Amino acid sequence: MKLRNRLTLFFVIYIIALSFIPLLHDTLLAQGKWLGYGTGAYQYQSQSYFVLFNDPYDGSSKPHIHVNPSFAPASRISLIEFSDWTSWVNGYNLFNDFNVTMRASPQTLDVTYSGPELVLHKYIEMSPDAVKVIMQSEKEFAAHVEMWRWVMTSINGISIKDVAKPLVIAPTTLLEFTFSDDSLPGLGHGRIVMSAVPSQIEIWPYENGFNKITVDFVNSMMSFTVSGSMEAVGTPSLEWNYSLLPYVLPVVSVTVVALYLLVGRYGRTIKNRATSRGN
Amino acid sequence: MLLAAAIRLAIAPFFMHAGDVGTIYESSVMVLKGANIFDFVYAKTMQMQTTTGLPVFFEGYAYHPLLIYFFAPFYWLFTLIAGQGPVMIDGHYPSLPVLIYPWTPLLLLMLKIPIILADMLVVYILAAKDLRKAKIYAFCPYVIFIGVVWGMFDALVALFLLLSYLTSSRNSFLSGFFYGLSLMKLYTIVLLPLYVVRLFRKWKAFSAFLAGFAVTLLPVVYYLIVSPVSIWNVLVTFHGGRLMGGVNLYNFIWVVQDLPFDLAVSMIPNIVLVVALLYLIVRFGRNVPLLQSTLMIMFAYFLFGKVINEQFLVAIFPLMLLCKECDHRLWVAPFVFIFLRSPFYYFMLPILWTSPVFYGYYLQADDVWRQLQAAGYLQIPMYAVGVAFSLLIFWNLLRVMDATRGGIISARQATDDGAYSKTFDLRGSIRRLATMIGLSRVRSAFSACSPRRSMPSQR
Repeated sequence: MKLRNRLTLFFVIYIIALSFIPLLHDTLLAQGKWLGYGTGAYQYQSQSYFVLFNDPYDGSSKPHIHVNPSFAPASRISLIEFSDWTSWVNGYNLFNDFNVTMRASPQTLDVTYSGPELVLHKYIEMSPDAVKVIMQSEKEFAAHVEMWRWVMTSINGISIKDVAKPLVIAPTTLLEFTFSDDSLPGLGHGRIVMSAVPSQIEIWPYENGFNKITVDFVNSMMSFTVSGSMEAVGTPSLEWNYSLLPYVLPVVSVTVVALYLLVGRYGRTIKNRATSRGN
Repeated sequence: MLLAAAIRLAIAPFFMHAGDVGTIYESSVMVLKGANIFDFVYAKTMQMQTTTGLPVFFEGYAYHPLLIYFFAPFYWLFTLIAGQGPVMIDGHYPSLPVLIYPWTPLLLLMLKIPIILADMLVVYILAAKDLRKAKIYAFCPYVIFIGVVWGMFDALVALFLLLSYLTSSRNSFLSGFFYGLSLMKLYTIVLLPLYVVRLFRKWKAFSAFLAGFAVTLLPVVYYLIVSPVSIWNVLVTFHGGRLMGGVNLYNFIWVVQDLPFDLAVSMIPNIVLVVALLYLIVRFGRNVPLLQSTLMIMFAYFLFGKVINEQFLVAIFPLMLLCKECDHRLWVAPFVFIFLRSPFYYFMLPILWTSPVFYGYYLQADDVWRQLQAAGYLQIPMYAVGVAFSLLIFWNLLRVMDATRGGIISARQATDDGAYSKTFDLRGSIRRLATMIGLSRVRSAFSACSPRRSMPSQR
């Protein structure tokens, strides 16, 4: 085999082989542990949940919990997002007034907020059937926590038809909500279990549902155990999703390489014809 | 040449890549204040690593210390007109800059003048060889975009690499000096073994080359003494431990959101690069003309270097134009890639930031762009273009290798490209340039013996 052909064979195999790396990572390495990337974002993918902490673009999602429906495992449907932008502890904004450091172990993300006269930890613990967000400090603190979803169709049995303006609901440790999603035909259920009864819970209507739940409490520790699921309604159609990219990239590499080889072969044929005519 | 300069001057004040121009601006400000730019970048990196617990780096000034001295004088001139108040605040990804008017356009123009001058000098030098090639460089949309729209300074690397090649057969000191200057973007370091191999046993030329090269290293030595940890972290640890990607076959890694894994995988191209460089230098280093061997090494770097940014091709574009085996239309791939990686309106911030209405349009457009990104729609064409560009580079590399192995170049070179490098007279060129821009009245005295007269393509 000529050197040119050997080099081409090597390079073509090299390109195609490398294109499988995202797929290998996705199937063998990505599941079941916290992964850090970008400029300080972390994510966790389990069988049922995808959790993003610290969106790389704007620092939102602290955390943003998604559910992977059993009928469409590659889809990530937003379940609930904890917002630091709109949450306060002792009157200080969590996003702007605290210095944040993040450390990950395989199952727990430990986020430390160092602020005025207070060091607060936010632990995000993963288990197969739920995501637990714990806010903990050595001192008692007063917190206003906001959790967002666009949108929840009902919360603890209250639907948008019953409420026209923000509503304070009876203090409880259990919040159950329903939702649907534009990208998948299905009905979703979400559940947030708190470790203590908060002083106030308020739900906020927005257009055709509720987009936010706010929880106020005074304590040295509060946990929010979030779980959810989605049931199919009708026959779900095929939907494109970012998590399908690892499957597509090998196809792209093979296609581009095949085009290169075909064009190269065509070019050589033309050249040979021209040479033989010239002779 | 005047038309090319006019186009650049007209575009320069109104466009920029906020992150890259912001870095040059921020560094120029610091240099004028006598601050240590490497300490600043290192401190930011440490802060990011402490916050995130990840091996992330602040993407600030990570270039040869000499580079900023090409820009700082123009910033100083700007301050004479506009004062020392801030003009561009922040702008490092993912933040958007705050721009202060009416000074932003003037600042952009001043900071791009070194790039425009470098472009014009490249055009001038190429014109002495072949006017058609000079025109290609002068009016290539890709070259114009990188220089005066983006505000990236690879044209300086292109100029110094070209001068290093052209002076190599006549003046090794200058060749080493220009090569050292080309290292202001560190990727041309891969050419150092080639120069060493070619000059091996030519001790006089070798010493002269090293002496010229050493002069350019003096600022590095200074910073190594003053703040060794900072400069090592910024120039070596950052570039050595960088995540692979760019306009190449490695940008698939952007899909894999696992930084420690990504960094481990990023070592693969390094290994292949070392093997490829060793092969090319041993096989072709000494017995192939410098132009072709330089391009072979740079092509290998473009194939196996782990980071190939959109602007890197500018650095070897003039050399590619001088090489008959290379297809200069390669620029199309990185040019397309620019608009897949960064939305076109991102380069228009100096225009969009002039009005709240335009700013509103920006936010709307950016919302759509973010949705496209989040869905992964842009990643597919980016990867396709990256692979296609790598394959086209590979095709060019094979063409140069085929020509050199067949003895076509070495025979022809003596009467063509090589002859140009041998007859290139830097002093004469400077005199001619001075004549052209009106600094001398002795135009006729030099034009009579100009090598341009003897070029077939000029007739």
